[in-house]
Amino acid sequence: MFETTRVILTENFRSLINKMREAPILYFIFSCTIVFSIFIFAYATFFFINIDINLDINLEDIFFTIFFIFFLKTVADIYNNFIKSSSLSYSLSTQVNQRRTIAEIFIAVFLTELVIWLSFSCIFILAIFTFGVNVGYPSEYLYFTLGVTTAVCLGCTISINFFSPKRYRLIPTLTLLGFYFNFREPIFVIFTLPLAIIHVTWSIKNSMESHLFSKRKERTKERYQIKIRNTIKAFFHRETTVLWRDKLLFSFIFTSVSTGLFSGYLFLYGDEILIPEPIRSQIGGVLPSMFLFLGIYVVIMYTGVFPSLNLFLNEEKTMWILRHMPVKNDNIVFGKVSSLALCFLTAIPFIPYITIFTGFDKIVFLVWFFIFSYIAGIIISVPLGVKYVGKKSDIMLLYSVAMILFVVLSFVAIIADLIEQFFSYPIALYIIILLIELFLLYVSLKISSQILTLKYKSTS
Amino acid sequence: MIIVKNVSKSYGKIIALKNVNFKFDNSHVIAIMGENGAGKTTLLKVCTGILPFDSGEIVVDGYNIINDSIKARENIGYLPEMPYMYERLTGREFLFYIASLRKLNDAEERINEISKMIGIQDFLDYEIGSYSKGMKQKISVISAIMHNPKNLLLDEPVYGLDPLTSRAIQDFIKHKKGSTIIATHSTQLVEQIADFVYIIMRGKVILFDEVSKLLSKYGTIEEAYFQIKDGINV
Repeated sequence: MFETTRVILTENFRSLINKMREAPILYFIFSCTIVFSIFIFAYATFFFINIDINLDINLEDIFFTIFFIFFLKTVADIYNNFIKSSSLSYSLSTQVNQRRTIAEIFIAVFLTELVIWLSFSCIFILAIFTFGVNVGYPSEYLYFTLGVTTAVCLGCTISINFFSPKRYRLIPTLTLLGFYFNFREPIFVIFTLPLAIIHVTWSIKNSMESHLFSKRKERTKERYQIKIRNTIKAFFHRETTVLWRDKLLFSFIFTSVSTGLFSGYLFLYGDEILIPEPIRSQIGGVLPSMFLFLGIYVVIMYTGVFPSLNLFLNEEKTMWILRHMPVKNDNIVFGKVSSLALCFLTAIPFIPYITIFTGFDKIVFLVWFFIFSYIAGIIISVPLGVKYVGKKSDIMLLYSVAMILFVVLSFVAIIADLIEQFFSYPIALYIIILLIELFLLYVSLKISSQILTLKYKSTS
Repeated sequence: MIIVKNVSKSYGKIIALKNVNFKFDNSHVIAIMGENGAGKTTLLKVCTGILPFDSGEIVVDGYNIINDSIKARENIGYLPEMPYMYERLTGREFLFYIASLRKLNDAEERINEISKMIGIQDFLDYEIGSYSKGMKQKISVISAIMHNPKNLLLDEPVYGLDPLTSRAIQDFIKHKKGSTIIATHSTQLVEQIADFVYIIMRGKVILFDEVSKLLSKYGTIEEAYFQIKDGINV
């Protein structure tokens, strides 16, 4: 009973332990960054409770943030453990009912999400308790836990039905999500949990065709593009072809445009929306710059950091190809990184859209900081991606890179602010900083190609 | 020619190869046999430079696999046991990509020739992700042999292939110049195409002999394999 569930949970647990053993220092840092950010979040809660400010960010906002984090994580987990899983064919070919096997996969994902929720929330409760905040809210905790359960159920239905040849099966989930967005009432989410359970049960019952659904794609039209290229161009072409065919570039452009519009809107009206009238005059001026910063940060993370890391993390099973080719590691690294130029192009729409709201006064600074941030993202991500080459994409790694980049960019933003204050025409200084950064990029790529070299213990 | 001198390789506490010595001469087909986990795949991987090893030395056509890895790899063709490839590329795109990395400017004719030989020419413009295991194996075979490597290392080369393709590949191996090393469980394949056979057990070589001598002594390679293995176990 529950063999598949046990196998998935054991495999995930052992994989985590193995990675921790391989790189204990890095994993220690990863764990510290996670605990640190939970403590910071707890301290912010403590701070806002103590200064007694009625922020418009309320319990509902936090509820829906947690809801969507677990919703997205479930979509990804079901995709990896069911839709895309090649090892699943073994368990599906046994005498155990296939629907039961898929249900067991769902249970494994559900238990994983629940453990993550319980552990993170417990650390948070412990943190605010140490600050002296009252933590006696059992009904609210149950409320949030049921929200996570609904998110897991709906995330599972999205993943299963999106890959079904009958995509109309997504309608119930999308309808529920539409209602949630419209009413923005957590209680509505809790009341619709039975509906989510019914839909996930029905989806699991009809999910085999999602696992089997694969369309044989013929690409005769692209044949004229196939030719022998030099090594770096060959890497560039392969990476960009995959980005194009996975339709990732469109999601990058969408993110750039929507983040530009959203953060631009908050740049103009954020003060009025988020800061209560009594303290607006005191801290109001900080928010526009913060939204500008966060907008750039989000776009850079999505269009720069994720693709940079995945350049190497995605080579999980195909490293044998690169390892036995007569190609220098430098060429592999430089060739792959050159494909990020295309990702950078997809990030550019952010600038004109945010400029609609910010005006052209700060355009030089904006463009400079945007380019700087993009290159900084690559400098940090590529060596770490190479370090973990051949291993699965790791949520802790992504999170840690995000944290490091946040700290670096915050520091640079402070320096840039000082430059703006003390220099009337800082363009030359900006160019010098960019040139230094390009040199650092070169060093980072060289270090990455060294990391890519196999480590032989002895040759004697 | 590949020379393996005192090579050891372990995965944590598990010893895959223990001070092994091999000499894979030119113009010979050499088979490597052994039970699961004996170290066959590990041996091929260390010879191609895919895996690092703990101690010893590997020389490919006079080039050290560590110090002159680029030169050494130029003359190697490798077919893995599980041919994972870039699923979003078509078979043709993948082969041209490999040809680009190997700087083979006249690869098109060669790709067309081999793909006809093994019967995959009609599927070259489909994405690899939609291929069956046998089709992936065929694409992987083309990528291993299209540059006419002097040293060909094949891990279960006919596994998953239809009989006609299997025969075409065997004919190719027989007529190929240079050394060919095959890791396999198929005693039939060894009898049909190998000149020499190594039998390895728990990372050590327990037998190296000519296939013809083993056939005259034991009748079949299967019989030879079991008798030699039983002799060691006793």
